[in-house]
Amino acid sequence: MMSDQQIIEGCARHERKAQQMLYDRYSRFLLGVCLRYASDKAEAEDILQDSFIKIFFNIDEFTGTGSFTGWLRKVAVNTAITYYHKNLKFRYHLEIEEYVSVETGVASFEDDFFTSDELFKVLNELPAGYRMVFNLYAVEGYHHKEIATMLGIDINTSKSQYSRARAVLREKLGKLRKLKNQYTAGRDQK
Amino acid sequence: MEQNSEDRILNDLFRRKLESAEVIPSPSTGSRLMRRVAMREFLRFNPSRLNIWYAGAVVVAGTVLSLILTSDPPAEIINSEPEAVEIKTDVPVIRAEDKIINTGKSENESIKQGKSDAAQGRSPGTGENNSGSAITQQTFPESDGAAKVNIPAAGAMDEAADRGDRKLKLFSGNGSYLNASVTEGCAPLKVSFRCLAAAYDSCLWKFGDGGYSASGYPVWLFDMEGEYNISLLVYSSGIQHQSSVVIKVHPKPEARFEVICENNVTVDDEILFRNYSEGAQKFSWDFGDGSGSGMFEPRHKYGRDGHYNVRLIAISEYGCTDSMVVENAFTGSSCFIEFPNAFIPNPNGPSGGYYSPKSDEVSHIFHPVFSGVSDYQLRIFTRRGVMIFESNDINYGWDGYYKGQLCDPGVYVWKVRGNFINSDSFTRMGDVTLLKN
Repeated sequence: MMSDQQIIEGCARHERKAQQMLYDRYSRFLLGVCLRYASDKAEAEDILQDSFIKIFFNIDEFTGTGSFTGWLRKVAVNTAITYYHKNLKFRYHLEIEEYVSVETGVASFEDDFFTSDELFKVLNELPAGYRMVFNLYAVEGYHHKEIATMLGIDINTSKSQYSRARAVLREKLGKLRKLKNQYTAGRDQK
Repeated sequence: MEQNSEDRILNDLFRRKLESAEVIPSPSTGSRLMRRVAMREFLRFNPSRLNIWYAGAVVVAGTVLSLILTSDPPAEIINSEPEAVEIKTDVPVIRAEDKIINTGKSENESIKQGKSDAAQGRSPGTGENNSGSAITQQTFPESDGAAKVNIPAAGAMDEAADRGDRKLKLFSGNGSYLNASVTEGCAPLKVSFRCLAAAYDSCLWKFGDGGYSASGYPVWLFDMEGEYNISLLVYSSGIQHQSSVVIKVHPKPEARFEVICENNVTVDDEILFRNYSEGAQKFSWDFGDGSGSGMFEPRHKYGRDGHYNVRLIAISEYGCTDSMVVENAFTGSSCFIEFPNAFIPNPNGPSGGYYSPKSDEVSHIFHPVFSGVSDYQLRIFTRRGVMIFESNDINYGWDGYYKGQLCDPGVYVWKVRGNFINSDSFTRMGDVTLLKN
């Protein structure tokens, strides 16, 4: 079993075997990252491929300081942003009015109530712009200012998209929970 | 506050659940990625594995090699010609040739040669040059009596025939292997050369403009005027023979002209053609209506409407030509009507309104300039709309008087309707300012 360091050095020499090892080891993790930014799995896999090509051909840029997974994640996120920009005009944009008023009845979300598959699903259903901002802010932990420069949008757009994304997520999770509760209740009754 | 904590809960949920969530990619993703990587690796320069740079180098090398192989054979073919010709030096050869001529066997051949050369090289300078330069080193193929003599050269033969003193001329012995399709012409001049030697190892042409060729049948383009001294070196079994000829390239004239045409040219106006040509002595004009002229700057009157293309051919003293065409140089129409915008009535009393171009030089009468008008109605109104003048005769204009009184200076409005002789109708409106002396 090769260590990360060996794999990186092998990739820097453009060795097929090292590249295959790198893919085998990190593709699942990176696809998780990509899936957060994509609207479905096929799109996520496209982003994943582009990310790996960037990784293979620019592995020299990984300085060795900091975590390798952090660097990989950053490459994937940047690729996802590029992909988002490239396909911006083909996206379906949802009207804002649809989500202007959202009830805030769903107060808390228990950790283990939703599976990660469900969360991915909910994220994938978000409009692309909302999803980008929400991911970058809530999961990746960037500030609105950084997000604004990354996506080339206004800082206030970033903020408002984030809050709308949250509202939509809350609503969707609320519905989902209701469904799940009904399901479990129905099962219990039986 | 509650809102904020709720947000945090939501964010935390997603972060915890998804930050390091793993999703198994479909197996085809990996293989497709590896194919793309292989493609990219192929395009990238990398000395350690086969890539496009190596493939490109192989293709280039192959092309170069095949070019070399295909360009070589002609020389080999020439060399491998079975005619093994012995070459001897000066004196005996001339004698041998003399003998051959005397036998009369090759006489026809020689005269033919002389004639064709005479047809090709007209300038006497060429011949002189040949006879002057060709004595240096001569190698004549001494053939087996059949005397396929390609030797006798242009000018020399020509003159010899004139004087009937062939023998003498032949002794001055200019054997030229050089044949040019033309020796004089207009730039750009394309000349096909031919090396007349029956068999040789190699030949070298120098074209006098820095260019050279090793081909047996070079074609050269002289695009600048001047005299070019073309020399041909023929190498055969270590002996070299030089022939030369002078090619005269005459400058090309430049035809340039301008059509001088004022506004509202009618078919009855004479149009002047301004000639800016350079380097030409004779000119030939074609006005596009079937007529022409040989003048330097002709004037021409088109009798009819139409679109005419004018062509000028400039001819230099050597007969070199250049031409220029102006398309639609004249598109005059015979039908128009135009009105002035001011006039000064005669203060000394009404003149009646009839005018002719001569009588109305100071424009005491308001009337149009026109051509081809068949019928016509002119009305003039004051600014209040009172009609003060009407005319149905184009030769009858307004003299500025209304009921015997000179009208006030100011702006008057006119309206005209009518037909042209080509049955187009016209309606025009405008204003005219009546001025006072």
